[in-house]
Amino acid sequence: MARDTAGGTGTESTRTGVGARLAAVRALLSPRTEAERERRRVAVMSLPYFVLAIFGAFLPLGMLARMSLSENQFRNEGFSLDAWETLATEPVYREIAWNTLWFATVTTTFSVLVAVALSHALAKYDLPFRRWIVAMVSFPIALPGIVVGFMIVVLLGRTGLLTNAVAFFTGGSRIDLATALTVGGLFLGYAFSLIPRATMVLRGTFEEINTDAEEAARALGASPLLTFYHVTLPQVWPGVVAAFVLTFRTALAIFGTVLVLPALNVATLRINLEIQDLGFNLAVASAMGLVYFVFIFGFTFAGVRLIDNESLKI
Amino acid sequence: MSSETQQDKQVESAVEAGRQRRGGLHHLDVSATVGRPVVKLVLGVTLTFLMLPVFVTLIASFGTTWTGTLPRGFVNLENWRTVLGLAEGPGVRDGVITGLGYSAGLATAGMLVNIVVGVPIAYSLVRYDFFAKDILNTLAILPIVPGVVLAVAFLRMYPEQGGSTLGLIVGYALLKSPFMILTVQSSLQSMNLQRVEESARSLGASWTRTFLTVIVPNAKSGIVAGCIITWTLAAAEFNFTYMVHSAGPRPFSLFLYQNISRAPVLQGAAAVSVYFLIVTAVILILQTTGKAGFTTVERK
Repeated sequence: MARDTAGGTGTESTRTGVGARLAAVRALLSPRTEAERERRRVAVMSLPYFVLAIFGAFLPLGMLARMSLSENQFRNEGFSLDAWETLATEPVYREIAWNTLWFATVTTTFSVLVAVALSHALAKYDLPFRRWIVAMVSFPIALPGIVVGFMIVVLLGRTGLLTNAVAFFTGGSRIDLATALTVGGLFLGYAFSLIPRATMVLRGTFEEINTDAEEAARALGASPLLTFYHVTLPQVWPGVVAAFVLTFRTALAIFGTVLVLPALNVATLRINLEIQDLGFNLAVASAMGLVYFVFIFGFTFAGVRLIDNESLKI
Repeated sequence: MSSETQQDKQVESAVEAGRQRRGGLHHLDVSATVGRPVVKLVLGVTLTFLMLPVFVTLIASFGTTWTGTLPRGFVNLENWRTVLGLAEGPGVRDGVITGLGYSAGLATAGMLVNIVVGVPIAYSLVRYDFFAKDILNTLAILPIVPGVVLAVAFLRMYPEQGGSTLGLIVGYALLKSPFMILTVQSSLQSMNLQRVEESARSLGASWTRTFLTVIVPNAKSGIVAGCIITWTLAAAEFNFTYMVHSAGPRPFSLFLYQNISRAPVLQGAAAVSVYFLIVTAVILILQTTGKAGFTTVERK
């Protein structure tokens, strides 16, 4: 591959500063030992990913940082902290941050709890049509957020199935009974997206646990609840943490659902508002996007320290 | 060994906790009788919650009105005719065909990029140990930038091309690459890569040839599954598309959004049903590659 372009100019012995760096480059371009060849293979095979990541993510994110400091909304000019000042001082942004965090935490916790029950049933019980149940639980992962929003409208909107059923039995007004556009409706919309993702992460963990210990505990007289708490839960705990970290990230990034069901002012909705409706407010949107990115990035790397790489699944 | 002693301790503590409760509290632990039914009930309610709106939407798309509890006036194909572009419909410009064709093309291009990007890095992450491997692994398998933030960054970095065909392809490839990498990793993990690689090398194959003619064919099912998953997700990608798209053909997800937000509910139902049919077909194909559903985890 890159062998011909090497030139092999690296000096052998000077292991200081520039010399060491040159030697490393030399080893990468024209490797002599098997270890050096292996290092070159890793570099070559990671190269396409880095090209995509640099042009697709790192450079645009750098531009995002620059834009948040621009004096002009349309060009990168001068230096101004106005956007950051707006973000720090206007109370609406504090409210958005709070809304985003508490709503993501509550929906994630709920979804992971349901997912634990689902994966427990899928792994332990003798269920008919098990593969089809897995297929059905995984179905919503393929749906974009706007379609999820539509699903909640179909259930709970003014013409929704459940709204009409309740109106029929209680004689109430359909318009009063519709809950799709309330925070409760949005909660179900988030759960619709998050439960399948959390379940798919946990399913793998539940299938790897050792059933002998559970059977022993049951045979020795512990109840199913105590067995779950003392034997099963410690074994699946890494998976539960992984599911929480990954689901929380997904919850933070939800946009389509909240665009269709705008019951709560969360960060993604506000970024859209800054750009589409409040004028082309790119500096503030950039600053928000940057805070958002840094938070998710930091959360991910802090979260990943708690779990092993094996549990990372989506 | 240590995990076995740990499990013995867990069993002991469960049994011990059971003994201590044998007093008054024991009668409150009814999990032996209600535990399983309750968990099954959670499963049943969740499945109903996830699947009921899907089936109702599919059925309603063939109805005429939905003013009572259930849609009525079956079988009416008018909504489908509108969605397929065979008839004029309220609130929506044209049918699904152009948008779906355009998005299918974008998704296919993104998928090809993901093969080139995802397969090699998945292999090097499974096969080799190297500096900062864990960090690279985390970066590669977790979607680091949310679609909305990536869109704002694209608008700034590439004001001309951000919403163009090229911009959408790059965005889709980046946003969906984790699914390809994880699926390929999952299928590579079941192979003894070092042995396969060393046998091929000792028989005289070059490393490049070993990778292309031995490793890649063995990982075929994972690559195919990764292609299907990334393709489907990109074909209906909304968050990024909605923010960056400005001119040119209208992608499928924006057609869906228009039908959901501006058209009568039954017409929206027909539009969404188009996508349900695609996902159902995709899941059926995925099952032939060994995946139970829309997930990167290999079937056990």
